[in-house]
Amino acid sequence: MLYKVVKRSEITQGKSFGIRTAAIILALLTSAVFIMILNLNPLEVYASLIKGAFGSNYRIKQTIITAIPLVITSLGIAIAFKMKFWNIGGEGQIMMGAFAASFFALRYPDLPKPILLSLMMIAGMVAGGLWALIPAFFKAQWETNETIITLMMNYIAIKWVTYLQYGPWRDKGALGFPKIPNFSDNAILPNFLGIHIGWIFALILIIVVYIFMKHSKLGYEIAVLGESENTARYAGINVKRTIIIALLISGGLCGLAGMIQASAVSNTLNVEVSGGVGFTAIITTWLASLSAPFILLASILFAALIQGGSFIQTAFGIPAAAAMILEGMILFFVLGSEFFIKYKLTKNGSAKSAAGKGEI
Amino acid sequence: MKKALGLLLVLMLVMSILVTGCSQPAKEEPKKEEPKQEEKAPEQKIKVGFVYVGPIGDGGWTYAHNEGRKYLEEKLGVETIIKESVPESQEAEKVLNDMIDQGANVIFTTSFGFMDYTEKVAKANPDVKFLHCSGYKQLDNMSNYFGRIYEARYLSGIVAGMKTQSDVLGYVAAFEIPEVVRGINAFTLGVRSVNPDAVVKVKWTHTWYDPAKEKEAAKALLDEGADVIAQHQDTPGPQQAAEEKGVWSIGYNTDMKEMAPKAYMTAPIWNWGPYYVQEVKAVMDGTWKSSSVWEGMKDGIVQLAPLTDVAPPEAKDAVEKVKADIISGKEKIFVGPIKDQTGAVKVQDGVVMTDQELLSFDWFVEGVEGKIK
Amino acid sequence: MTYISMVNITKTFGKVTANKDINLSVDKGEIHALLGENGAGKSTLMNMLSGIYFPDSGSIFINQTEVKFNSPKDSIQAGIGMIHQHFKLVEVLSAQENIILGQQMGFFLNKKAIRNKILEIAQKFQLDIDLGKKVYEMSVGEKQNLEILKVLYRGAKILILDEPTAVLTPQETAKLFKIMRRMKEEGCAVIFISHKMNEVMEISDKITVLHKGQTVATLEKNMTNPQELTELMVGHPVDLSIKRLDRQRDTITLKVRDLKVENNEGIEVLKGLNFDLYAGEILSIAGIAGSGQKELCEAIAGLYPIKSGQILFKEENLVGKNPKEIIAKGVSMSFIPEDRLGMGLVAAMGIVDNVLLKQYQKEKGFFVDRKPAVLKAKEIIKKLDVQTPGIYHPIRDLSGGNIQKVLLGRELDTNPELLITAYPVRGLDINTCHKIYDLLNEEKQKGVAILYIAEDLDSLIALSDRILVLSNGEITGVVDARKATKEQIGLMMLGEKIKETEGAYAV
Repeated sequence: MLYKVVKRSEITQGKSFGIRTAAIILALLTSAVFIMILNLNPLEVYASLIKGAFGSNYRIKQTIITAIPLVITSLGIAIAFKMKFWNIGGEGQIMMGAFAASFFALRYPDLPKPILLSLMMIAGMVAGGLWALIPAFFKAQWETNETIITLMMNYIAIKWVTYLQYGPWRDKGALGFPKIPNFSDNAILPNFLGIHIGWIFALILIIVVYIFMKHSKLGYEIAVLGESENTARYAGINVKRTIIIALLISGGLCGLAGMIQASAVSNTLNVEVSGGVGFTAIITTWLASLSAPFILLASILFAALIQGGSFIQTAFGIPAAAAMILEGMILFFVLGSEFFIKYKLTKNGSAKSAAGKGEI
Repeated sequence: MKKALGLLLVLMLVMSILVTGCSQPAKEEPKKEEPKQEEKAPEQKIKVGFVYVGPIGDGGWTYAHNEGRKYLEEKLGVETIIKESVPESQEAEKVLNDMIDQGANVIFTTSFGFMDYTEKVAKANPDVKFLHCSGYKQLDNMSNYFGRIYEARYLSGIVAGMKTQSDVLGYVAAFEIPEVVRGINAFTLGVRSVNPDAVVKVKWTHTWYDPAKEKEAAKALLDEGADVIAQHQDTPGPQQAAEEKGVWSIGYNTDMKEMAPKAYMTAPIWNWGPYYVQEVKAVMDGTWKSSSVWEGMKDGIVQLAPLTDVAPPEAKDAVEKVKADIISGKEKIFVGPIKDQTGAVKVQDGVVMTDQELLSFDWFVEGVEGKIK
Repeated sequence: MTYISMVNITKTFGKVTANKDINLSVDKGEIHALLGENGAGKSTLMNMLSGIYFPDSGSIFINQTEVKFNSPKDSIQAGIGMIHQHFKLVEVLSAQENIILGQQMGFFLNKKAIRNKILEIAQKFQLDIDLGKKVYEMSVGEKQNLEILKVLYRGAKILILDEPTAVLTPQETAKLFKIMRRMKEEGCAVIFISHKMNEVMEISDKITVLHKGQTVATLEKNMTNPQELTELMVGHPVDLSIKRLDRQRDTITLKVRDLKVENNEGIEVLKGLNFDLYAGEILSIAGIAGSGQKELCEAIAGLYPIKSGQILFKEENLVGKNPKEIIAKGVSMSFIPEDRLGMGLVAAMGIVDNVLLKQYQKEKGFFVDRKPAVLKAKEIIKKLDVQTPGIYHPIRDLSGGNIQKVLLGRELDTNPELLITAYPVRGLDINTCHKIYDLLNEEKQKGVAILYIAEDLDSLIALSDRILVLSNGEITGVVDARKATKEQIGLMMLGEKIKETEGAYAV
């Protein structure tokens, strides 16, 4: 073998940044081949990808609007992931959050705006939290596999909203078209500086979650539990309680993202309200290595990719599927680069200080 | 830790600059370059956007609209942009805004579910002209347009009624909305005009575009004894089900002969091209006014595809005769007496249903087996 | 005839010089001990010999030919086999499968031929092993035998054993030494890394002492003595005797009555224990590994479900209380498991956050205050001489001895009234061992009741007041340490079992 894989024990931030940059460049080069097959000029396509995401005030706003639910959901997922509780159920928690918020929006459309919005927010967080509580309870009580349960519960949530949309909540005024009525104006989040105020929530939550994870007792307990359950028990941490509270917070944040999407973006509830954010956020969380400030960065980059990808579809008449292939390729390389951040290839014969810093 | 905090602060700063930076000029209209060109040239530079609910390759509804778009490009040489597979949700609103951002000034939205989003965006962008297909809302800058496809469905019902041997016909339908209900009723009336004992069974799919689901629904109908399948769906899935079973079918949207050569008899089809040319031309000439268009076979938006050899030989003459009556206005189709599913007379003898009644059709005529929720 | 020689080897990691101009030569048929404190550079040196690291400068000769190892593979090909402290075995595979794993071979396995070859080697070196047994069913000693067999099968003529006895019972150690002597007779060279002076004196022919990354001396065993070796190793004169602090018997801190616990398979692992522990006393627990020591510790700390019986801490029953309540009452446990990190420490966190583990629950409010933990971390580093790149550096990168110091330092810092400490000197060098003995004596002086669990009978007898012997979950006796002999305790450790089935002590 000419090369071998060696685990890195430590990596400087500069180096990991370099690897990620290299990955993006590689992704662009590979995608360029694909774009040329489509008979287009890759440079033009890339330029418009960026232009589509940041090229005008309108587009920057759209990118930010796309990033908002990603940020909030990623924060929620990060808390669960820190505990090594693999919450794949962000999608369902968003749905249930949106559902509970919509309940108040549709039922009490004439409440004063601040009261109604607060009610919706609380309802969204509680519903998302409770939805996450179910797998957490099973895990704490019977050590069930949370990955599978959270995943399955996504489908239950989606089907529940579908049922409402086609059944009891269907808009009577829509002439049979299966949609839920639009919210009253009082149930719609106001704008601030041209974008709905979800962005302010997102920024505040980044700081709150950062402080929570780094400086609160509970955040510390979550981190300990994630590293070793034995040690957590040994230190007197109540394992079941910690799992349950952490998931209430995790699901609560996802539920809040659902409320924001339903209120500010859809102005109603429908099955598209989460739009896959619950899954995309898993990637952004991972890319940000569970760190709150980096979640902001990863979410904006991801939103830009989505926004730019949508732009080039119309700009170049690329089929939707081809645009998704481009997004997928870029994602593939960036995620693949994570491997090279954890491991490195050394050429045989230059194994100098291969393992970096060993036991001394 | 401090480093991370520092980074956070920097990010927040960047974020706030971005946000404040983009909030100020928001009032100045995002598409500044476009109007300049407009001022120079007496003829507006037109960019036409099309928002599709399915992919162009669906071989049905979206395909028909896209054929219309191509016809428009060819005839007027205008630039068009498209977005396919747009969900009927808040995503549609975003797509509309994206198109305006990219300079579109005439936008066709081609699915019922886009109506509310089109209305919302239209209100916010009075300079852009919107034309929404199959809905009923109208603004100064938003037209609605549709065709009386039920006329062609009635004709296709005649063909199907003559062909059936089991006297059971299957109808794969998307949503329980007036447009679809009307189509089913027209088809059934057509069937029973030549075969009074026949029944039309309905299966809902709750999707416009899902080849597999549509096919499954058709199969279920075939299992229930249907030997002719008609559809209000955007793909040829139901046609293939009929082909595989060795029975017959009525298509929709476009001529589906090639998808099911042994089953397909005819189809009510759309021909949007001339309408698109007419509207865009009016915009170019500055004579465009919002309107509510609901044209039928007379204007050519709606047609019946040529009958194939599979269709019963005697059907051709029958169809031609009724077609002439429809175009001349002699045959109104929804004219009393019409009974509902319970057998009660809903429309009295000789009474013609108004357009308003047709646009809010929420009951089935006698002979339909199915339920509207 | 010189078989291996390492000449002027230097290796640095960043700013730290781990090895500086080290010379080592080993002959065929020689057992060569490598002696040195934690962090003296023994492991680094051996890792270069086994191809894991590459020296910055210096040369390695095997059979007078210079070699360059770019990977462990090269080293194995040169006939070097290293037995690491942490075994590299696949748990779910059998012994035989582990041996042939990763070997180059044809598409079809000639299992019979391979098996015969393995058995031949095993017989030659008197390695006692069941080839069909799965690794997870094996005792530590059996795993070690398997590791040795594995490298011998791969043709090793030079065997490096990195602290092999740290995890073994005295009986298993005796067996290992027998194997090492067989290898010597077969003309192999054996390099033996250890802290335990008595073992080094027993088994080795030559001894090389390392201190702070440099060679201090290479001595013939017959020409030296433990005192000299220790002084060379530590770098200054030391007192080798373990002090026992005599202290008046105080009140009873801990009473255990009829304590019974079952493991999750329903087998009784503690079969009705009764004993008292006085304040200011060190009560040692002796016993073969797996006699119930771990379960006893965990039961007192509230981590193991109790079937019946009472644990009275200052007359208050701890049974049914959760770990948090028990900690709050002043019971502290430092348990060093075989893998060192299994319980009590968080490998991915730094010393500060690990110290915090026992601190934060006493703090009021929603937030944790790291300032006291930072101070304590620095104090522990200073007091116990912990080698670490920084107080926030993940402790998983520290050497085993340093990790143990962090754990013990933290537990002592909580000022407990009852200290349970299991295997605190496991794998530590003499100097550090003595530091820990001194710390325990200090606590004893303060009136802390100490339950001390260890493997090394010599130090056990020297340090403690009384010795409780556990055998198969039962107490076979409690003896006064001042009057006890190793032989007596050894017999008690084997309990009645030796009468029932011969040689069944390797639990």
